[in-house]
Amino acid sequence: MELIIIGVIALLVIFGVAQYNRLVRLNITVDEAFAQIEVQLKRRADLIPNLVETVKGYAKHEQGTLDAVITARAQSTSATTIGEVAKADGALTNALRGLLAVAEAYPDLKASTNFLSLQEELSTTENKVSFARQFYNDNVRLLNTAVKTIPTSFFAGLAKVGARDFYEVENAADRNVPNVKF
Amino acid sequence: MAENNFRALQSANKGKTYFLLASMGLLTWLVAYAALTYFGVGTASTMVPFAVGIALIGVWGSYYGSDKLVLTMTGAKLITREDAPELFNVIEEVVIASGLPMPKVAIVEDSAPNAFATGRNPEHALIAFTTRILEVMDRDELQGVIAHEMSHVANRDTLVSAVAATTAGAIAILSDFLTRMMWFGGGRDRDRDNSANPLALVFSLVILILAPIAAILLKSAISRKREALADATAVSFTRNPAGLRKALEVLAADTTVVRQKSNAVAHIWIESPLDGSSVSKLFSTHPPIQERIATLKAMESLGPTGN
Repeated sequence: MELIIIGVIALLVIFGVAQYNRLVRLNITVDEAFAQIEVQLKRRADLIPNLVETVKGYAKHEQGTLDAVITARAQSTSATTIGEVAKADGALTNALRGLLAVAEAYPDLKASTNFLSLQEELSTTENKVSFARQFYNDNVRLLNTAVKTIPTSFFAGLAKVGARDFYEVENAADRNVPNVKF
Repeated sequence: MAENNFRALQSANKGKTYFLLASMGLLTWLVAYAALTYFGVGTASTMVPFAVGIALIGVWGSYYGSDKLVLTMTGAKLITREDAPELFNVIEEVVIASGLPMPKVAIVEDSAPNAFATGRNPEHALIAFTTRILEVMDRDELQGVIAHEMSHVANRDTLVSAVAATTAGAIAILSDFLTRMMWFGGGRDRDRDNSANPLALVFSLVILILAPIAAILLKSAISRKREALADATAVSFTRNPAGLRKALEVLAADTTVVRQKSNAVAHIWIESPLDGSSVSKLFSTHPPIQERIATLKAMESLGPTGN
């Protein structure tokens, strides 16, 4: 009889530890995923001074567009909370889109190897940012589901793991719902 | 939120793989049972572990060293970032999307567009591309192909196919030995129960003869399900079914096949290197490419998926 009780208790403990560990692991994965977004955003920010210099050399009259990029970059490097980071990220993406659109008007700039390699670096970093964001959100989804569903939800308090915020794209262009007229 | 289609497809294909692997186990058990009924305990208890042992040693070796073995078998050469910076950029994108470690990358000199992935675990993964596929594919298509290959890594398909190959191999060896022993009339235990049910004997004989074919069919079915699963997982990485769909269309339109048509490595390529018409659908390692394109098109029609 005692053996059965000990066995049941042991199974319950193993079960509890497994739930606890699952929550902690999910939480760490979300942290790592967020760090990856920051790494990629940093990479992008580092590319910008070089890009601005290159564009300046060919397109002197586009000071407004260049200033917009520089301001957006400054904001993105000072952002800390996830909401701020997401907002600055969206603003910088828009400013960069504007800059690349401007570059279309300068054939010499478009043909320069320096610009071409910067453009490739920028587009891959842009993709990496969005994939890092997607990976982060997928893992937040897993974590939040675990925190809110039985049986993991019983252990969320004990593991000090709570639901986390999604990385929402604060991007006016992405948010705009297409205007449908009948 | 409705279940995204690629998630539903992923779990469906995983479920089918488990079912097929279980069938493989059942088949092995049937063969062991047949050996037991036909030859008695003495022969069966030596032959079954012997056959499983030979198959295990053979397959385990090629599984464990798969990344190196395949390099020599296909003539692929490892490359670094400096050799193909753009290719590495696209691979890094997919690596971030998948959350997997960066794989080794190799190039195969070949005039047919194709690609494959191997390696015993994500830490020892290797993905390879033919020179031709890098020429014919644009960035989106290449991203789809890379995502498909990284999906094989994520789903541990080298392990799955190693398990399938081991059981199929063991069954083939066992049935080969036992049918030979039957012709020479030897091997039966002298103290064998002579009152054995003749129906059971006939049944065992049929199992022994048909089992190897059934094992190959199961192995091919598992391979096809893993390909379909990799397509679905690829979409979960890129959220862009159109990229992989266009890549498959390029592959379908191209009639050149990889020069070395070795059966041994046929299953690892993204598109089957064997001539489709000569292989019947049941024995094929890949689902028909038009079927894969249609599945991806159905995913596209769902529109962009959230987050």
